[in-house]
Amino acid sequence: MSFLTVQRLSKAYKKQEVIQDLSFTVDRLETLVVFGPSGAGKTVLLRLIAGMIRPDRGNIIVDGRDITDLNPEHRHLGMAFQNFALYPHMTAYENIASPLRSRRIAQSEVDQRVHEVAKLLRIDHVVSHLPKALSNGQKQRTALARSLIAKPNLILLDDPLRNVDAKVRYEMRLELPQLLRARETTVVYVTQDYKEAMALGDRIAVLVDGRIEQIATPREIYERPANSRIARLFGDPPINLLPVSTVPGSQGAQIRVASTDVALPGGAGARDGCVLGLRPEDVAVGFEAQPGAMPVEIDAVTPLNDREVMLLRARDGTEIFASAPQGHMAGSGQRGRREAWATLDLSHSHFFDTAGGARL
Amino acid sequence: MSAANSSATSTAPAPLRSRGAGALPYILSLPALLVCVGILIPFLTAVFYSLERYNLAFPQARKFIWFGNYVKLAYSSEFWRTVEVSLLYTVFTVGFELLIGLGIALLLWRRSFVTNLLNVLLILPLMVAPAIASLMWKLMTNANFGVLSYIVTVLGFPNFRWATSPSSALFTVVLVDIWVYTPFIAILLLAGLRGLPRQPFEAAELDGVPQTFVFFRILLPMLLPYVLTATLFRMLDSIQQFDIIYAMTQGGPGDTLMVFQIQSYLQAFTFTNIGRSSAILMVLWAITYVLSKYFMSTWTRLRERAHGLA
Amino acid sequence: MKSASFSPVRGILMLIVAVFFLFPLIWIVLMSFETNGDILRSPPRLFFSPTLHNYVSLILGKLGGGVGTMTVDYMRNMMNSVILSVCSVVVSLILGVPAAYAFARFKFRGGEDMAFTLLSFRFAPPLLVLLPLLRYFQVIGLYDTYFGLVWVYQLITLPLVLWIVRGYFEDVSEDIELAYRLDGHSWLATFFKIAIPLARPGIAAAALLAFIYAWNNFIFALILGSSSVQPVTVGALAFITASGIEYGQIAAALVLSVIPTLVLAIFTQRYLVEGLSLGAIKG
Repeated sequence: MSFLTVQRLSKAYKKQEVIQDLSFTVDRLETLVVFGPSGAGKTVLLRLIAGMIRPDRGNIIVDGRDITDLNPEHRHLGMAFQNFALYPHMTAYENIASPLRSRRIAQSEVDQRVHEVAKLLRIDHVVSHLPKALSNGQKQRTALARSLIAKPNLILLDDPLRNVDAKVRYEMRLELPQLLRARETTVVYVTQDYKEAMALGDRIAVLVDGRIEQIATPREIYERPANSRIARLFGDPPINLLPVSTVPGSQGAQIRVASTDVALPGGAGARDGCVLGLRPEDVAVGFEAQPGAMPVEIDAVTPLNDREVMLLRARDGTEIFASAPQGHMAGSGQRGRREAWATLDLSHSHFFDTAGGARL
Repeated sequence: MSAANSSATSTAPAPLRSRGAGALPYILSLPALLVCVGILIPFLTAVFYSLERYNLAFPQARKFIWFGNYVKLAYSSEFWRTVEVSLLYTVFTVGFELLIGLGIALLLWRRSFVTNLLNVLLILPLMVAPAIASLMWKLMTNANFGVLSYIVTVLGFPNFRWATSPSSALFTVVLVDIWVYTPFIAILLLAGLRGLPRQPFEAAELDGVPQTFVFFRILLPMLLPYVLTATLFRMLDSIQQFDIIYAMTQGGPGDTLMVFQIQSYLQAFTFTNIGRSSAILMVLWAITYVLSKYFMSTWTRLRERAHGLA
Repeated sequence: MKSASFSPVRGILMLIVAVFFLFPLIWIVLMSFETNGDILRSPPRLFFSPTLHNYVSLILGKLGGGVGTMTVDYMRNMMNSVILSVCSVVVSLILGVPAAYAFARFKFRGGEDMAFTLLSFRFAPPLLVLLPLLRYFQVIGLYDTYFGLVWVYQLITLPLVLWIVRGYFEDVSEDIELAYRLDGHSWLATFFKIAIPLARPGIAAAALLAFIYAWNNFIFALILGSSSVQPVTVGALAFITASGIEYGQIAAALVLSVIPTLVLAIFTQRYLVEGLSLGAIKG
């Protein structure tokens, strides 16, 4: 049963449609990550759900109740913000207690619940501080505590890890899913970090220019991106998008990429003048000439986590990213060598329309 | 339940909703709106007065005469004298205040104990009511005991009679205006200067760029929005100056200091000629209206910059 | 412009600036402690035996020299100034703060026009509206009343409050207000518990500056009131033109009239630039 339903939502500013006829649903206790580049309308969408701005068209239904015309205070949502949005003139304690104050809950219970949630978020030692005395990580934990304390059924998280340092972001990325599961709540989570989206989302909605271009599980989005734009947004280094043509007379079993003919396993998907999407990890680099391998020059090598990222240049100038486990290029004698051979593993390849970028 | 299903439904747009903000902003600004209306009513009345032959001494003769008052003004040397004096007053006050104010701002640019102290001292004249300031200078230029009268006598000008002589009256009130309002320009320009980025000046210094070049090609252009705002602000006040002149000489001696508002005050309260007085004020209003349009556009730009809007 | 070493030219220029702007104030203060005899002595002397006589007679309202005393209630003018300024500021805050919030937060039809119209009043010739207002006030009985004057004072104090406070409200993050409302608090509670406290420095600055402008106003009360409601600015003028008042007493009257604004200036220093530019430049 869907818990949050967004129906045909539209919002324009100065004739510029920021949200365009948007519809999606979120199941009870599901975490939906809304992912997209900046300016895609993510923040506007969240503010529409929160009730800070009203849509021009469409409805928002939470738990069977149409809340489109309700004021924010009647929506019973929790929300945490990118910039924390703590009340600077109140202590962390009062910040966290704020949702309970509006419900006129007895002080003893407020006390007990604030300490419970503060402990859960490991900020119980700083609740007497003003926000300005807190670190960014503590600020965001305070904001999260505030959004959780009243046990809302729906929580909106607006890129909450954007302004915290890398270490805290890493910790929270691990901690948040457990926390949200423990509080038994439905979550809409906005981010522009694809790793965060993949780590936290039960499903991911990819928002581009006010439209959802794909809504699916992280795995599906990574493995079957709906178009080349989405394919590029997920993955670091980004997916290679290479124009291809079919080799005449091969019935589509061979394609020409960067002036090199490559066999296409399965023989499906490609058509003349489309774009091949190939993840860098599916490009193997070696120094021995192999059948079907493409002669390349290695322009640059950078380590990335436990892998090595190489920027290759084909004979016709096409740039290709390759990524291989660290040490894969073993043999110190090979270091500094520029000429190499790239083998494209097309078993995980994607083909996209050249014009619209749609998946073929 | 997964994919967006907008394509499944019709492609016609969903029905338009009414905007939610509703009446709240209007309720909040209603009192301010009422004040607006409360001012617009007398304003429109004044426009009407200016089109009437309306002298309190001859109530029976009151009559709507279209632009009769304005036509009479156009042929009146007294009115043109008013225009002349007002313009002179504005040009002299704003011109000198701008030059001196810019000089002071540059002088106090670099922060130090002395410049901070001077910065505070500069505020003081600005806090004195212009009418009171005028009275202070009236005492200082008193022929019997005024310290300034004494000083000019010592300097060899025993006949310099400040505001009581037609030849020096304008000079005296301009001096008072400069004393009161130069700090205004200095303080605004100083804020502008201190808000400027440092890099261009440091780069120019490193490159050994001549100071005159730095001043005219780097500093002045960057400071221009502040200079414009301060200047227009002062012009708007200066062209309608009343307090200083009224407190000093009430427009005299003779007609030496009959600026717009003094002249219309005289027309209304001495000659009870409301129609003519209103017509003079309408001319002044037209001038200030044009100036205030310019002012508001430069002012808005500064404001957006200060508040990081765009 | 930025020479590192101290230059004597700069020092001399600064001295000239300090003398020009301070001397009149110092001279008037000295004069207010002098007897008539000391004042009229030529050449003027820097050292004299100070007397509080001028202030005492001013406060008692019994003025005059050897010929005879007359009763001038200058303290009443002081009182009027206080009443008019305080009331004008309070009214401006009550009217202006909610409106400033509306202009800062909501883009509503006519909002910007209203804000700019209010600002443009600040620059219209005051006499233009004062003449008709005088006629209207005489008819509806507002002439020579505090109420009528406070109303007209809004012409100067309201735009000031509106535009300064608006800037502060604009700087309060909308997210903070949204967060508070999502906590279940009404719009009104959010306004009073979040928006107002966070804009408090701006409200305080606007109030102080509005007070100073109201205190220094001259023309409104000159035209719309008689001596019973007139503030010090108008009262002092009547003083100087009246005959038989000792010069020292005039000086003392002037000094008394500027003390409140000079004292406030010290508190408003930080916000002065913002106030003078009607919120366009941050200090």
